[in-house]
Amino acid sequence: MRKALVIQEDIIILKIIERLVVLNHYECKAIRSINDLDIEDQSENFDVIISDILFDGIAPLDFVFQIQEIILHKSLIIVTNMGQKKIQKEILASQNVIGFFPIPLDMDNIQKLIA
Amino acid sequence: MEIDLYYYIYLVLKYFFLFYGFCLIALYFFAILLSNRSVNRNKRKARFLQVNDIVSATDIPSITLIAPAFNEGRTIVENVKSLLSLQYPFYDLIIVNDGSTDNTLELLIDKYDLEPFDSTFITQPIPTSTVNKIYRSRKLQYRQLTVIDKNNGGKSDANNAGINFAATELVLCTDADCIIEQDALLKMVRPYLEEFDQEIVACGAAIGIINDSIVKNGVVEKLRLPDRLIPMIQVVEYIRAFLLGRMAWSEINGVMLVSGAFGLYARNRMIEVNGFNIHTVGEDLELGIRLRKHMEEIKVPYKMVYLPETLCWTEAPNSIDVLIKQRDRWARGLWETMRLHKDLFFNRKYRDMGLFYYPYWMFFELGAPIVEFVGFLSLIVFTILGLINWNIAILLFTSVYLLGCIFSTISIFIYVKNFKHYSTGKEVVELLLAAYLEPFIYHPILVLGQVQGYYKKIFGVKSGWGNMDRKGFQALPKEKQ
Amino acid sequence: MEAEILKLLIKFLLLVLLITFGSIAYTMLYRKWRTRRLKLIENSFANICSLYLYPKPNEKPNLIEIQRELKAVGIVPSKPRNVQYLIDLMIRTQRSILGVNYIKLKTLFTQIPPYGASASKLNNKKWYIKARGIREIYEMDQSQYTRELIRLRNNKNIYVRREAQIGIVIFLGWKSLRFLPYLKRQMTLWQQIKIVEKLNDLYPVPDLKHLRRAYNSDRPYANELIMRIIRKFHLTEDVAYIIQFIDNPKFETREAAIYCISSFLLSDEQLVEIKEKFKNINNTEQQLLLLKYIQRISSEIDLSFYKDLLYNGNDIIKLSTADILWNNGFKEEVQDYYYHQYTQNADSESISV
Repeated sequence: MRKALVIQEDIIILKIIERLVVLNHYECKAIRSINDLDIEDQSENFDVIISDILFDGIAPLDFVFQIQEIILHKSLIIVTNMGQKKIQKEILASQNVIGFFPIPLDMDNIQKLIA
Repeated sequence: MEIDLYYYIYLVLKYFFLFYGFCLIALYFFAILLSNRSVNRNKRKARFLQVNDIVSATDIPSITLIAPAFNEGRTIVENVKSLLSLQYPFYDLIIVNDGSTDNTLELLIDKYDLEPFDSTFITQPIPTSTVNKIYRSRKLQYRQLTVIDKNNGGKSDANNAGINFAATELVLCTDADCIIEQDALLKMVRPYLEEFDQEIVACGAAIGIINDSIVKNGVVEKLRLPDRLIPMIQVVEYIRAFLLGRMAWSEINGVMLVSGAFGLYARNRMIEVNGFNIHTVGEDLELGIRLRKHMEEIKVPYKMVYLPETLCWTEAPNSIDVLIKQRDRWARGLWETMRLHKDLFFNRKYRDMGLFYYPYWMFFELGAPIVEFVGFLSLIVFTILGLINWNIAILLFTSVYLLGCIFSTISIFIYVKNFKHYSTGKEVVELLLAAYLEPFIYHPILVLGQVQGYYKKIFGVKSGWGNMDRKGFQALPKEKQ
Repeated sequence: MEAEILKLLIKFLLLVLLITFGSIAYTMLYRKWRTRRLKLIENSFANICSLYLYPKPNEKPNLIEIQRELKAVGIVPSKPRNVQYLIDLMIRTQRSILGVNYIKLKTLFTQIPPYGASASKLNNKKWYIKARGIREIYEMDQSQYTRELIRLRNNKNIYVRREAQIGIVIFLGWKSLRFLPYLKRQMTLWQQIKIVEKLNDLYPVPDLKHLRRAYNSDRPYANELIMRIIRKFHLTEDVAYIIQFIDNPKFETREAAIYCISSFLLSDEQLVEIKEKFKNINNTEQQLLLLKYIQRISSEIDLSFYKDLLYNGNDIIKLSTADILWNNGFKEEVQDYYYHQYTQNADSESISV
């Protein structure tokens, strides 16, 4: 079974994405903050990470770079409130991200990426 | 004849102290009412402009955070990382290396992969000490970071260099060793977004004390009350000062002081007034007054506001020595500023500031330590002369003491009611006990520091900023059992 | 006598202190209990929404079950604060989701309590309740109340009128520009931002007819709002509207104009116009911003314009001009200027180029 990691502070968005991911036949770990990650997560090879970029103690762009080093994964999708064009441009320029979705978002777009 | 004279002096002083005390109590009482209104209003307003609304908005003012650093090699890398992580979509960070003699600059260059860029033609609307080089990161993820390396000129001079170089509408001046709440900028910008008939020239927020708390990755992971009594009392002092004092002033647009450790200003206005005054140690108050004067002179309606939330955390003096030095410096800053702007005193041209706010500062901020000191001396002299009715004196003291306790308790109540920090029973009890011990243990030290500062100003004793030996937040204290 | 009064005062103060202690204790206990309750409601609501949007295969969402679940966590008419919290959660969710799910959620929220709670708030005397009611109405897409919102657009309370104006934009789209540029009171920056964002999110195709009619408004806030709209929708053909405000006497209007114009590339004629207006700006910082913009969008360096600034501008403008010339291959001109400075008297008159 494919594995997904969802990190969203907003529990409603978190739960909705979690359901979406589960229905797409992923084994999903859903957490609200990067502090909830544990040692085992670092060695898991996630097929997809769907994450916010706003976390305490780490700059949004720095997070996108660091998550590459911290957690093994195949693709990274960003879902965030801080979705201005400028931020989107910077994040996509990092070339580590396959999708950037500012909130409000249409979940169908995520579905297309993870299906 | 001589006894009559002493008695006459005794009576004059007695009624003066009573009158002064009564005015002060009345003002505090008034402050409670105002601040309570202000905090409630802020809370209601925040519902209509939530952090999530702002974080996703376009067209909001851009902000540059300016943090001067002088010999901060021990903590600079972590502090910059923490400052970089602040949540705001249009945000730049300028670290001004103010002629550090340690490896502050080298560490920054190394960690953030900085490279110098051509600064031959940099413009300096506010004159500062020589800027040697300006650095920017080669790494994409640190693009918002700029480091200015300049000759030593002091904190105000470094802030001015940062203001010169900033290219944003708003600038936030802080210290490199302050811990700033992650959503602080989003909250601080609120008044600028919401005002329509008055220009916001400066905005401050409450500052909290973080001694002995756990800080991880530049974020307060667990806020604790300090272990030692001196900083613990300062927690109460800060809560009272910000929640009762500043919020009350904010409610009547009477804020004159936005703390130098954390203040957001309109950059264009800062440049118009030539930034911080580098010749005073009370640069924050001086700037506040100068900004207000400027706005009064150009006849533009303006506001200086305060937010009740604690958005910035700093380390408070742990020892009596350092505390005295700090208060000595604050007193000198106050003295210098009051003197520099003495033309405001009951000056109708400056409206409320000239007629009320400045005289208040003169009588009750500058004057209070002097009155207390004279009061203490009088107590000794009149005791020796046998003029004191001890029965009444003790009762009066008890009343005044209880009033002080009530003011502190009410500020703790407002804090507990509105904010999430210090929310356990144990913490609140400790805070209350600290507040009740304050008049006996802490307050005399403050008065001593303040009188020492005034003494230096009166007799021209040279003194600078003094050193504040900080423990830093790197070493995490052990978990309490 | 004095002693008696003081003793009485002490007793009174002790009583006040005791009451304050009690208040602190009560507040702490209530907060603890309330936080737990809100968390419970939030979790249940999150579960309900996620299962409603993405139910298990071959399973249909059961509305009765949902209502029962909400009741179990305290969503009952006798607990209006819980109900209000649920409404806040609904709004939060509606604002986060687009597409088919948005419509699904809208359907769900009409089928679970509370029913019609927002409209009644419009008649409340307290500004924060009234404003909240308006917000709920527009966030939950209850367009039947548009008329009420239009009536409130000039309300004396900033929050009430702000929410009403945003609601009008949401329901009327570009047609709302019939009202917005002619309001009785000023508009805050946030109102402008929100209006532009809502137009962009909900009505992405600009209706130039309504927009251009609004150009007649002489209210400064309306000028700023229209400039922001032109910028957001990148209406290149209407950029002249922004240019006219570049040297406006009002600082904020100029600031908005410089900010908005910086998103556009200009024709040669427009660039000439901007350069003319540059001289009329009496704020160096704004001149600097404009200078950087002119340099950025110019295909080639207009030497006479820059030399004029180099010789006749103030010190800061001179330095920035020197920077531009130096970095664009006109080092000689800069050197000439500095040489000229040495040979001239310090107080020489300005030289025309």
